[in-house]
Amino acid sequence: MTAAVSEPFGPPEPFVHPAFFYRDEREYLDVTVPFVRDALAAGEPVAVAVPGERLELIRDALGDAAASVRLLDMREAGRNPGRIIPGVLRSFADAQPPGSRVRIIGEPIWAGRSDLEYPACAQHEALINASFQGRAATILCPYDVERLPEEVLADAHATHPTVIRSGSRQEQDSGTYAPGDVVARYNEPLPLVPDALTFAFDADSLSQARHVAVGEGSRHGLTGVKLDDLALAVAELTTNSVVHGGGSGVMRVWTEDGHVVCEVRDQGRLVDLLAGRRPVPRGQRGGRGLLLVNLISDLVRVHTGADGTTVRCWFAR
Amino acid sequence: MNTPHQVPASAARGSVPRLAVFPLAGRSGVRAAGEIALTTRAIWEGVLEEAVLEDDDVYYLELSDVTFVDVAGASALAAAAGRLQDGRRFVVRRPPSALRRTLDLLWPDQAGIEVSTS
Repeated sequence: MTAAVSEPFGPPEPFVHPAFFYRDEREYLDVTVPFVRDALAAGEPVAVAVPGERLELIRDALGDAAASVRLLDMREAGRNPGRIIPGVLRSFADAQPPGSRVRIIGEPIWAGRSDLEYPACAQHEALINASFQGRAATILCPYDVERLPEEVLADAHATHPTVIRSGSRQEQDSGTYAPGDVVARYNEPLPLVPDALTFAFDADSLSQARHVAVGEGSRHGLTGVKLDDLALAVAELTTNSVVHGGGSGVMRVWTEDGHVVCEVRDQGRLVDLLAGRRPVPRGQRGGRGLLLVNLISDLVRVHTGADGTTVRCWFAR
Repeated sequence: MNTPHQVPASAARGSVPRLAVFPLAGRSGVRAAGEIALTTRAIWEGVLEEAVLEDDDVYYLELSDVTFVDVAGASALAAAAGRLQDGRRFVVRRPPSALRRTLDLLWPDQAGIEVSTS
């Protein structure tokens, strides 16, 4: 790309966020390894957060250079898609000295992501653009075209301004970039689950809501840190309902496929799309409740609309 | 709501959690009992406000009888620690595990907080 002399609308956006479509290991390494090596050669901080088996491929290909790269297994660090922006991307980018471009390979969507997880994955990819707007950063997001469904690949065109097609190393316009549409489309209703333990709460019964949830979580096999995490999540979600969501709400707890699930419904409407995904500056008092919920849950799904907001969290037993 | 597992909130009314605070004998600090959450936040913030103004190097927060601390309570502690003069610190004794978890995740390098489990 040439200099931005003819830019009619001010300086070009410094944030670069291509989706990279790969067909096999060779294509994967042909793009990811030079991406890392170029960053290292330029003295730019670089991180790789991809599923463990792909991480090993990149680590092996880099050899000794891997020691200079932050390597994270996305299956762990990004199991909850809502955790990736604050806990992986921004936590790495914000820790770097100002002035240099930060480069990250982030692969949040792999074959095997469940139907429950996918809406949160797509929203996460869309919200990266808002989170990094105006920042000198490049986040390359690999997509396995052999194993991911067509809809996922179509969504990747909507959540990334540019794409690198399989067999190519050139970045080009995605043609259908529309991240706001993706956030809205995957703001899917979360239908009531029958037979869940149900507790209506207000300011006077916040503590009871937590005790009821912890009792139920314990009865279903949560222990130790996981039980603490359930207590913390319930406390934050119910307190949010009391303070921001109309003063009251309904909490439900049930089990599902090896998880204890907890949801809180209230009358509020969540308007801040990056709530719970924005790192909070040291010294700022409030604003960490949803962030903590994202950091500790195995999955968080949110639905918000004119009728209210539902936040649902999964905790593996 | 008429689910088979509905828990009536009315049965639990009248038990809004409290936070009681007692000065420690012979050293600078307090022992707290109860829980630190929305309804007791102002009491906890008042304790920390006074603690910041003390002179002793160490200010003890004895929390073995505190059953829970929410994120706002941890945030108030971190903010108060950030305002301590150089060389001063809070020693937080036997806090509930939820507080340790929150501090580890959100304030991993906060100066001025020493957590003691004994």
